[in-house]
Amino acid sequence: MNKSAVAGVVAQGRRALHRRADPARIMEGRERRFAAALLAPAFLALMATTTFPLLFLIWTSFYRMNLSMPFMDGFAGLDNYRELLADPRFWQSLGVSLVYTASTVVLQVVIGLALAVLVHGMRRGQGLFRMVAILPVVLSPAVVGMVWRSFMLAPDFGVVDYLAVTAGLGSHNWLGDPTLALVSVIVIHTWQWTPFAFMVLLASLAALPDDIYEAARIDRASAWQSFRRITLPLLRPAIVMVIIMRTMVALTAFAAIFTVTGGGPGTATEILNLYAYRKSFTELSIGYGSALAVALLVFTLVVSGVLFALRRAK
Amino acid sequence: MSARGQVQLDGIVKKHGAFAALKGIDFEIKPGEFFALLGPSGSGKSTTLRILAGLDAPTSGRILVDGEDVTGADARERDVAMVFQSYALYPHMTVFENIAFPLEMAKRPKAEIGPAVREAAAKVKIEHLLDRKPGQLSGGQQQRCALARAIVRKARLFLLDEPLSNLDAKLRLETRVELKKLQRSLGVTAVYVTHDQEEAMTLADRMAVFMEGEIRQIGRPADVFAQPNSIEVAAFIGSPPMNLIPARYQDGSVLIGGRRLPTMLQTHGERDVVVGVRPSAVRFEADGIPATVEVVENLGDAAILDMSLAGTALRARYDRFPLPREGDAMGVTVRPEDIHLFDPVSRRRL
Repeated sequence: MNKSAVAGVVAQGRRALHRRADPARIMEGRERRFAAALLAPAFLALMATTTFPLLFLIWTSFYRMNLSMPFMDGFAGLDNYRELLADPRFWQSLGVSLVYTASTVVLQVVIGLALAVLVHGMRRGQGLFRMVAILPVVLSPAVVGMVWRSFMLAPDFGVVDYLAVTAGLGSHNWLGDPTLALVSVIVIHTWQWTPFAFMVLLASLAALPDDIYEAARIDRASAWQSFRRITLPLLRPAIVMVIIMRTMVALTAFAAIFTVTGGGPGTATEILNLYAYRKSFTELSIGYGSALAVALLVFTLVVSGVLFALRRAK
Repeated sequence: MSARGQVQLDGIVKKHGAFAALKGIDFEIKPGEFFALLGPSGSGKSTTLRILAGLDAPTSGRILVDGEDVTGADARERDVAMVFQSYALYPHMTVFENIAFPLEMAKRPKAEIGPAVREAAAKVKIEHLLDRKPGQLSGGQQQRCALARAIVRKARLFLLDEPLSNLDAKLRLETRVELKKLQRSLGVTAVYVTHDQEEAMTLADRMAVFMEGEIRQIGRPADVFAQPNSIEVAAFIGSPPMNLIPARYQDGSVLIGGRRLPTMLQTHGERDVVVGVRPSAVRFEADGIPATVEVVENLGDAAILDMSLAGTALRARYDRFPLPREGDAMGVTVRPEDIHLFDPVSRRRL
């Protein structure tokens, strides 16, 4: 052993000794253990209620599991997925999901932004608008669905039908006509959730500094120019966040459509989520229903991936 | 070029409810002049600038620019450029886009914008930063960017709202000099708001001293410094501020510490006055009025002596070395031409 090697070993030993005695390191270890202990209950509960069911769902999707024909049950491999790809009703429901999600999200953002800009410009009564806006959001979607179905959209005595007749458009079977039914569920979702976009965007608007708008006035930007060149780019993170959050919810919407149309008439308002539910719990074909749910999960992941990529871009 | 940018304010009043922020502001600025609005915070100088810019409307009064009444015109219609205290740069745009913004709003052709932006950036020496965003710039660079954005359009009025107050002391001094050169080379009318009397003194051709919503004095900085017209202006201008000592006036002299100091005011009679003496005008003579040194503030090349003279405080500038020590007794005197006399009741200059 030469001299420098000996010195190295000695230094190593010294370091080890030092490490053992280092109080900061001991504190750090204790703190980490304490944090883990605090986190554990919530973590386990979360695993039990979300991760486990999800894994179970994926597992089930590889099985033939039909409660009306239990004697046929067994491992099916990719059969459920093969069947799914050839199922026109799957593609139809995916299409409805897309239309429903795209239109509700666009409407929420556009209307929410317009309202936010309008209310932000008001000198008084902002508090009132904020309060009124929160009301639809706190209602249960199932209740919202029932209210719209019975009070608003019922033929002859619903408010919407009454207005349509008064406006000379005539009485319509709002939930019986396939196109009108889809429009109706889109309007209901937009009505309930636009306030969310409105509130988020209003808060973001309020956080923008006043002085840059004054600078824009000095620079002779018109109101429209300062909206397009300053407000919109600065609100972009908030807008993208609203789009992401609302897209996730719209893709997995259930209660409002279930209570208003139940997916009908026929399959006109049957979004993928609803189709998976019907397959699983009405037709009792749990294995195939699971495969549909997994397809929805994959679709949601892809969409959110794209949206997050867009958020990071630029 | 310098025929543009004449400004006239007539009886500008601004009220916020019952509170009058401006109580009737009148002044005129000549084309190409560097005009400072000087005053402590809350004195109405920034409000005046905002009204001149068209960001706020006056409660009453008229604003004329180049003879044209612009009182009711919005900032967009006034052809003014402004540098904000906070710089107010557009945070999502690069330096280039920030400077180009006023040109784009003026619908200038694309081919013209690039060279104009580079020229403005070169004038304030930030041409190497054009691709950065404001968040990536230091305070001084942001300030230059704001300046470039203001000069790029060649507006007829150049308004500056405490542009140097967010810079550190060294940078403030450097930028102050450059600002003056820039304004001279552009030949544009500049209105400059500041609470720092040194900035106003060094930069301005003329200045207006604001207090409590009124203009107390307008004039060339040297004149205001030499002949403050009231106790308030005298106390505000100069650093350290003027000593103000209550005294008795008697037949052309004032009585301080039992001694008679002759003044330039030669009237018979006797009355109470406030004597104003600049710290730099205090002279030291062995047979002067006896005073005691209480604190010595050494500035390096000089010192400020806080002295006690016949029961009143007196600050004096002292630039001979060695410096006196605390507790030393010294004789002080003032030349007649360095004595300012004010009426203690009306607070006006006598």
